[in-house]
Amino acid sequence: MSAPAIRARGLEKRFGRAVALRRIDLEIAPGTRLAVLGPNGAGKSTLLRLVAGLARPSAGSLEIAGVVAGKPAARAQIGLIAHATFLYPQLTARENLLFAGRLHGVADPGARADALLEESDLTHVAHRAAGAFSRGMAQRLAIARGLVHDPSVVLLDEPFTGLDRSAAQKLSERLAGLHAAPRTQIVVTHDLGRVAQLADRALLLVAGRIARELRGEELETPALERAWAEVTEGPL
Amino acid sequence: MNVLLAVLWKDLVSEWRSRDRLIAMLVFSLLVVLVFHFALPGGATPRNAQHAPGLLWIAFVFSALLGLGRAFQIELENDALAILALAPADRGWVFLGKALANLVILSLVQAVVASVFAIVFELPILAVAAPLAGVVLLGSLGLCAVGTFFSAMSVRTRFSEMMLPVLVIPPLVPVLSAAVSATAELLRGGEVTFSSVQLLVVADLIYWIVGFVLFEYVLDE
Amino acid sequence: MSASVSQGLASPLSVRPTGWVLAIFVALYAWLVTIAPIDSVQGLIQKILYVHVPCAFAAYLGFVVTAVSGGLYLWKSDLRFDRVAAAGAEVGVLFCSLMITSGPIWAKGTWGHWWVWDARLTITLMLWFVFLAYLLLRSFTEGSERAARFSAVYGIVGALLIPLNYYAIELFGNAAMHPDNLERDSLGTGMGWPFLVSILTASAAFFHLLVLRIDLAKRRSSLEQFAEDL
Repeated sequence: MSAPAIRARGLEKRFGRAVALRRIDLEIAPGTRLAVLGPNGAGKSTLLRLVAGLARPSAGSLEIAGVVAGKPAARAQIGLIAHATFLYPQLTARENLLFAGRLHGVADPGARADALLEESDLTHVAHRAAGAFSRGMAQRLAIARGLVHDPSVVLLDEPFTGLDRSAAQKLSERLAGLHAAPRTQIVVTHDLGRVAQLADRALLLVAGRIARELRGEELETPALERAWAEVTEGPL
Repeated sequence: MNVLLAVLWKDLVSEWRSRDRLIAMLVFSLLVVLVFHFALPGGATPRNAQHAPGLLWIAFVFSALLGLGRAFQIELENDALAILALAPADRGWVFLGKALANLVILSLVQAVVASVFAIVFELPILAVAAPLAGVVLLGSLGLCAVGTFFSAMSVRTRFSEMMLPVLVIPPLVPVLSAAVSATAELLRGGEVTFSSVQLLVVADLIYWIVGFVLFEYVLDE
Repeated sequence: MSASVSQGLASPLSVRPTGWVLAIFVALYAWLVTIAPIDSVQGLIQKILYVHVPCAFAAYLGFVVTAVSGGLYLWKSDLRFDRVAAAGAEVGVLFCSLMITSGPIWAKGTWGHWWVWDARLTITLMLWFVFLAYLLLRSFTEGSERAARFSAVYGIVGALLIPLNYYAIELFGNAAMHPDNLERDSLGTGMGWPFLVSILTASAAFFHLLVLRIDLAKRRSSLEQFAEDL
């Protein structure tokens, strides 16, 4: 594992005239759990979509485990979990996982789907249509779907949106548990209180730039809130 | 290839569960037949039988447009376009899977509509069932390729229901003209001339290849 | 700031070099078409073809420019190519509209019919629809990048239709009111030069309008930038 999980050099993304990200330099070692924070419109989701290969950079370079982002081999490394669940309501839970497994060319999609259902505590509803699931169950299934091909980089885009307190807490525990397997995780969130639990490194993005990088103790909620206030309200 | 099969399987299974697209297409195309009855009164007159091939294809195109508009709307509703775009293979395979699923659904509708047409206009389709099915398949291949391709675009524009026919019909002109003339030749009881089939095959090949190659740019954000 | 807005753009009152070229050609064109012999069979109405044929040429030119710039845009993701593509389509649609209005006027006078479903005519009409669809697609797609990408793809498909349709004519045989090509004595004596100059004039007009249209797009985008900076 010599190549960093993610390496960005002078990464820029413009939408027409608007600049979403400017000159981002970033290197993330495999196994890092990174939180990306920042006010609305700071470019957090854009960064995630670039890493996922869903959008192309306007300038600069971006590599996932040494492969240019967006190439099929780079996409194969990525698992995407977002507040939108990406589930098909007509398909059952198991079929949703089967579809995702086949899409990614998983060797035995059936066995993999069953294992993931077991792990997510969804076996009892495996044959029920995903459209009938509660938000919390759908989110658990969505996480299983994102992990079906055992990706080395997991992207989480505001996963807590729309969850009640207890569901959010369970999700948070589940995400912390995922780290047992050595994966790189990038989580975009507004929920500063959960950062310390979910990440060991954080980026504060403001207006498309990395305004602050935080590690270790700085991720505890009070320190984080102070840093947030400094970069978003301070004279920039 | 597994992406193609996965998308095809997924689309057909979810369509089978709800059947909403299939039923809507069927009802709509039967309504179109009803409208033809009022537009061309007299039932099975020789003159109306002469118009039948063209009318049949109008019914096919209308119902196809209705179904194709939904093809990517489904992905958009589930926000699942991103998942398809993330599949670790050339995005052209997603196009092939979606287009084949549309072809299967459209063919089911066409079988029913053609039978109803044959009854209403007293067309001798049973005698030419096999070659007619072949011609319809060739025409539908072009229709589904062009339609699927532009449906992925139009769902992400404003007024998507209006944009789809505007985008789809002009490129279909060569396909439709060849399909209609071949159908007419068959129903007249004759042989299909090689030139219509040749044009259909060439146009189908072009559209499926172009769709495969350029879909990358359509599926991007 | 105003300096940067007008940077690289000619002042609105000055005439671009393409404008001077056009002016010279228009003068030459007007003179040649006036002195060109009256067609022995068709009479004066044949002179409409000095408008019709060059417009056809400029229309196809526009569609080729659109497809090629669209391809370059997909390759390089540079919005400058997209501006050229959009300009090519707009100017192309303009000439195409002139062509399909001037054609029937000539046809009514010569053949007694406004419209005949002749193969080449049908194809041109269809191309006109393709590029109208192209312009609609541009204006109904949100986000300049996505609009550029979608329309580039559509422009390429539209251009592919040209050879496909000529192949269709080839297969089905052409009962045409259009001559197969210009060499086959379809031109009367003394008509060659006026035709050549009329095509050059249309090309000059095409490029002048293209340049103006690209200019406009540039100004619009600098204005947007300016508004944003405020």
